[in-house]
Amino acid sequence: MMNILIILVAFLVVATLVQLLRVGELLSEVKNQDVNKVTEKDNKNQSMIMTIVGILFLASCVWQYFSWGHLMLPGASSEHGVTIDNLMAFTMILIIVVFIILHIVLFYFIYKYRKAADNDVAYYYPHNNKLELIWTIAPTIVLTVVILYGLSVWGQITNADTSKSEVIEVYGKQFDWKARYPGEDKTLGSYNYKLVQGLNALGVDMDDETSLDDKVTRELHLVVDKPVLLKFRSQDIIHSAFLPHFRVQMNCVPGMSTQFAFTPTKTTSEMKDQEGEDFEYVLLCNKICGVAHYNMQMKVVVETQEKYDAWLSEQNTLSEKLLTQK
Amino acid sequence: MSDHHNETFISKYIFSIDHKMIAKQFLITGMFMGIIGMLMSILFRLQLSNPGESFAVLEWFLGDKWAPGGILDPNMYLSLVTMHGTILVFWVLTAGLTGTFANFLIPLQIGARDMASGFINMLSYWFFFAATVVLLISLFVETGPASAGWTVYPPLSALPQAIPGSGLGQDLWLVAMTLFIVSSLLGGLNYIVTILNLRTKGMSMSRLPLTMWALLIVAILGVLSFPVLLSAALLLIFDRSFGTSFYLSDIVIGGEALHHTGGSPILFEHLFWFLGHPEVYIILLPALGIVSEIISVNSRKPIFGYKAMVISLIAIAFLSFIVWGHHMFITGMDPFLGSVFTFTTLLIAIPSAVKVFNYLATLWKASIRFTPAMLFAIGFVSTFITGGLTGLILGDSALDINVHDTYFVVGHFHIVMGLSAIYGMFAGVYHWFPKMYGRMMNKKLGYIHFWVTFISAYGVFFPMHFLGLAGLPRRYYTNSAFPIFDGLSDINEIITSFAILGGLVQLLFVFNFFYSIFKGTRATQNPWEANTLEWTSPVERMHGNWPGEIPSVHRWPYDYSKPGAEKDFIPQTEPLKEGETEH
Amino acid sequence: MDINLKNNTSKQLLWIGMAGISMFFAGLTSAVIVRSAEHGWDSIVMPEWFWYSTAAIIMSSIFLIIAKMQVRKGISPTPYIVSSLILGLLFSYFQIMGWNQLTSEGRYFVGPGSNPASSFLYVITFAHLMHVLGGIISLLVTTIKSVQVKYTKENYLGIELTSIYWHFLDVLWVYLFIFLLVSLK
Repeated sequence: MMNILIILVAFLVVATLVQLLRVGELLSEVKNQDVNKVTEKDNKNQSMIMTIVGILFLASCVWQYFSWGHLMLPGASSEHGVTIDNLMAFTMILIIVVFIILHIVLFYFIYKYRKAADNDVAYYYPHNNKLELIWTIAPTIVLTVVILYGLSVWGQITNADTSKSEVIEVYGKQFDWKARYPGEDKTLGSYNYKLVQGLNALGVDMDDETSLDDKVTRELHLVVDKPVLLKFRSQDIIHSAFLPHFRVQMNCVPGMSTQFAFTPTKTTSEMKDQEGEDFEYVLLCNKICGVAHYNMQMKVVVETQEKYDAWLSEQNTLSEKLLTQK
Repeated sequence: MSDHHNETFISKYIFSIDHKMIAKQFLITGMFMGIIGMLMSILFRLQLSNPGESFAVLEWFLGDKWAPGGILDPNMYLSLVTMHGTILVFWVLTAGLTGTFANFLIPLQIGARDMASGFINMLSYWFFFAATVVLLISLFVETGPASAGWTVYPPLSALPQAIPGSGLGQDLWLVAMTLFIVSSLLGGLNYIVTILNLRTKGMSMSRLPLTMWALLIVAILGVLSFPVLLSAALLLIFDRSFGTSFYLSDIVIGGEALHHTGGSPILFEHLFWFLGHPEVYIILLPALGIVSEIISVNSRKPIFGYKAMVISLIAIAFLSFIVWGHHMFITGMDPFLGSVFTFTTLLIAIPSAVKVFNYLATLWKASIRFTPAMLFAIGFVSTFITGGLTGLILGDSALDINVHDTYFVVGHFHIVMGLSAIYGMFAGVYHWFPKMYGRMMNKKLGYIHFWVTFISAYGVFFPMHFLGLAGLPRRYYTNSAFPIFDGLSDINEIITSFAILGGLVQLLFVFNFFYSIFKGTRATQNPWEANTLEWTSPVERMHGNWPGEIPSVHRWPYDYSKPGAEKDFIPQTEPLKEGETEH
Repeated sequence: MDINLKNNTSKQLLWIGMAGISMFFAGLTSAVIVRSAEHGWDSIVMPEWFWYSTAAIIMSSIFLIIAKMQVRKGISPTPYIVSSLILGLLFSYFQIMGWNQLTSEGRYFVGPGSNPASSFLYVITFAHLMHVLGGIISLLVTTIKSVQVKYTKENYLGIELTSIYWHFLDVLWVYLFIFLLVSLK
């Protein structure tokens, strides 16, 4: 019943439009005008609308920034994150300035050079090689600065010194994350995907001695101001470990191991003071991975060495979990 | 000389070898698919802005299997997102845009009777049609259409156990894409050979309209890049259906350890993006060419810097082959490689900037006439500036770390493709409609269409930058699972409202289009007072485009408001007056 | 369309099509390069039959060259085109024998007897053979037309187009063969 009504309404709307158009055409015929000819009046109206819309558009961009700016991620909670944020601020200011200037020029030209009267003629100016050179060289210089700055930050991030880093494995699968700590021997045990079974969700090779003291946890705990090297693996398909507050993101690819090194600088309790009691750091999946992709998360906690040690000592080792089976 | 053959209904409208009819076939198919793709986005946006709420319209379109109780199923959400992307990127913005305007304009603007091979051209459309049928069938399969994203990365796209859409739906997607790629290649062959060989007397390369340059370069881009996607797809088909391990390794899924070893999903990403990046320029360049034409005609001024515009088109095309890695910065690739791709990607900004400056210089001291086409062309310039600038952030590897796969990317690519390229397409349709159908589209409806679209579209996509900078990932069924995203629901609601408004007004365009085919006011031969050759062919459609001899060309296409001329335009066919120098 | 123009545009259409096909194989061969740099890349001995098929396709190209020379002199090219066709069919047969030889040595496309190298070998040779099928159809058509004496010394476009495509398949095969010889070591 509803369907028939909808179709009827659609039909009526179309029919009304057709009639309106016909009326418009007949009226123009009576006035001996071409209904579709673009007149100087049109030019004045449209350019006026363009100016108004243009101003409103730029104003709305400003409004959006002020309304929603506070929703953007808080300042970075890692060392390299601060350098990224600075680079971001620099680049953003650059593009915002260019965006505003070019749009003002665009809307100004549209208004000023509309054909509003018979004697509004155009100026035949086909080219100017000097101008071309200027506006090729200028962006080149600006972009060179952007590139060099960007590459230096990238180099710092990707060439981080990991000799003193705590190594932690982050393992993704449909649809949760696990972390594996290397234990006292500071070495993560080897793994083989064929060993994934039951409680050994990460496929750790328990014949490898270094695996025995590894600890698999459901939360990722990190010590503030201590460098960490996260190593990523995936059980099934491509996931992406995204820790937005730390400016960390890395794909987790089955059959490969990837990694990302960083140093967290703000504890969870500091962030709670800053952002509210409910704040928690989070690691979320950022590469489409199936039906629950939108809910694949792991809690991340940054804390003092003492709290971290206390938490870690409460976690079971793999030998406790897997080998002491009845 | 026009072809004196007997035209039946079949040979005139169905298996036509006339480039103008083939162009319209591409256009109508593209519009039809565009409506479907756009509808899909409205459906999934409803879920995004009102998670868990029941919408009758969802159940109406998707049935109670995929929208039980009016709530969108999460697997179908991913299918809608995937199919939306596939349809809009390939069916609408590639076939719909290039297929329409290359086929329609090339012979007319260079002065040829038809394409080099009408037969290959016809095949190109029918392969496209077949691809369309296969893709549409995939919407109805039991396990759902493909759902691994339009980028179909394996292993997700290779394993039906990982997501239902990777079953039959994905198979059909791959078949449809194979047919699509063949169609694209067949078309491209013609565009290149026709432009290079069939130009009329006097039409040297330096007198070609910029639209022709753009379409020539796009065709070359397509011939060189689409086959690589075909090879990627072929290997994926083997992994899926035959158990090879090109992309798969070390996988445990559904409780089972799979036998695949040695494969690499990253290999797929390399092969995919080797096409994927040139593809977005295949989408953008025709729009750049069309807009150059329309801005010039409606400014009554030559396009500023013709040579620079050609060189920048070539530079963009060349660079587009060496930037693909910027889609893969966080795959764990060698950091040095990442640096190389950052460098090349940011370089592409230079010819793009040159083009924007040239457009602005064209508008300077112009005499602007605001046809609906011109409004869309201006809209193109605005969105190209906006979308292009955010590319600087994404192309910078260090910055990409925190915005990759967030709504920042979604905002960027929609503004450059979903806005700029579509505006180019709309502009082209409004502008060349009189030539296609001998009638004018309604001006007032055109104005309404433009303004509502322009405002809604920015309303949809500009806020997405904020969502992205807040860390919101893309392809998420809902944002309500993470407390850190709770504050973003207002923005999502605003986006959906604008999306619905923008979506609805496109129906006005469709109405205008079809109404005007039958009832539009009859067009004169050269309603825009333009210089290019297509306006010298008679209004009535005819095979062979010109009765009698094809006109010769004596000048470039941009003599608008030339000092010393009688009128403010001089068609290319006008010989030089005594004492007149050619530009 | 004037005959010279038709000849030129037809050839250009073919050349650009072949450029596209080349890019397809470029995609496949770059996949091999990327994969062979990783661990788990096994070596494979090229089946003997592929050496024979290489000889067959080179010879079939030579016959097509002679065919073209003959038609230019006004002599019927039919026997040479037919020879080329037979050698082309022989090439296809030898390819299949090559695959047989591989499976008898326990090198399969998929399954326990396979590894990345063997999978690629099959895919690439199979893809090439599919394109050869098109060439064989083209040779068949050319043979029939030649028998019907449709080619003159002024216009033998069909033979030219078939030759261009066939030589392309030949050169492509030699490239793929050498490439696989090197990568599968």
